[in-house]
Amino acid sequence: MRIIVHHATCQGHARCWAQAPDIFKLDDEGYILPGDINVAEGDELLASRGAQACPERALEIDRTAAALESVFIQSRV
Amino acid sequence: MASNPVPDHVPPEMVRDFSLFTSAGMLPTPNGDPHAAVACVHAGPPIFYSPYNTHNGRGTWVITRTRDQRRVLQDAETFSSHRSIFASVLGENWPMIPLELDPPAHGIFRSLLNPLFSPKRVMVLEPVVRERAIALIDRIAASGTSCDVMKDFAFPFTVNIFLGFLGLSDDRLDIFVGWANDLLHGDDVKRPAAARMIVAFIDELAAMRRKEPVADFMTFVVQAEVEGRPLTDEEVRGTGVLLFVAGLDTVAAAIGFDLAYLARNPKDQDLLRSEPDRIGFAAEELLRAYPTVQMIRVATKNIDFEGAPIRKGDYVSCATMIANRDPAEFKCPNTIDLAREDNRHAAFGYGPHRCLGSHLARREIVIGLEEWLARIPGFRIKEGMAPITYGGHVFGIENLILDWS
Repeated sequence: MRIIVHHATCQGHARCWAQAPDIFKLDDEGYILPGDINVAEGDELLASRGAQACPERALEIDRTAAALESVFIQSRV
Repeated sequence: MASNPVPDHVPPEMVRDFSLFTSAGMLPTPNGDPHAAVACVHAGPPIFYSPYNTHNGRGTWVITRTRDQRRVLQDAETFSSHRSIFASVLGENWPMIPLELDPPAHGIFRSLLNPLFSPKRVMVLEPVVRERAIALIDRIAASGTSCDVMKDFAFPFTVNIFLGFLGLSDDRLDIFVGWANDLLHGDDVKRPAAARMIVAFIDELAAMRRKEPVADFMTFVVQAEVEGRPLTDEEVRGTGVLLFVAGLDTVAAAIGFDLAYLARNPKDQDLLRSEPDRIGFAAEELLRAYPTVQMIRVATKNIDFEGAPIRKGDYVSCATMIANRDPAEFKCPNTIDLAREDNRHAAFGYGPHRCLGSHLARREIVIGLEEWLARIPGFRIKEGMAPITYGGHVFGIENLILDWS
């Protein structure tokens, strides 16, 4: 699973971070760091809860094959 | 109350007799529930025109759906927040910063201030906040089995934290509460008088901190630079005034509404007391059910929005208490479910102006509830007493007398 981060839409509510601080990393202003997030297998539930907590809808859950593949590749690097 | 005539471009069938200031339950009401009172708009159309919906009797469009409020508040280009709501009380025109600035100027000031209110910064402040809550509640517990939550806890607690930000002691606490009260709920004489006092106080404090810097918010502001220059006097003032206006009343009101709810719902009270780990989650539901603020934007251009012909200069109201009772967003919105999932409530607004103090406000509310429930046994509204609630620009509650004898 991958979380697509729409960085420009983030307004620093930090509700994702409140759910899962190790998955959703914030900058010094309290906004999410740019770049999509590849979610490790055991973290999927926590990550989707965090993504769904976003009041701005800035976090999109991507469960397509491509997303799975990118996680797989990452886990082998 | 006289209201301005409805503009010609507003179709008569879109006008509704509804106002956050004058509708049923909005004026001071014993045992009122203003949040439930406004929820009735969801029986009507998703957007309508209210001919009297600001302090000074202006009409606004009213956006009721959460989804539409998100769209309005995320689009600061079309829906500007520059309307000098504070300065206009004085017949002046300068923005509270960053709230009443639009992008791109907004982003510059917001980036300057964000680190001071970030989640990580709030974690550092937490011990001081908790210590203050404990000291106040211990004193209440030691002095009897009843108190006025607003006067004895909610205001002293939140105002103390605000004063701590400004590096000031509690000496003038009652004066500040009085100013905030007059400003938000006073008449045409009290409001400008309070506004003048607040401006004079902020100007004086800024001058003091320029002369002798200390480790506090105003020192940070007077020493800060944007785009390679220091802030102007007007910018310093606009920033200080916003901190004052935004930080005093809102969190105190939230704590008041929350404790009033728990006083009337002993099962939920017992649950949170016996399982305090639930308080953080429950506080989100209470923020959904009892938010305090109405956001108003000004259209910068003509736009047809969900069937409404909004024209340049029109006011557009996004009331958090209305969005938070939207049945399209929240299942059974009028039921308070402390274990509610998928709770993307609007209490702190959406878009670039998302409440800068939201992380601090959340911690104050959670810590306030945690320490209250840990120290005060089963409490209820004191017999024969009726807390008075009111609507308006900032919803509130006064005279919340609790009893645990």
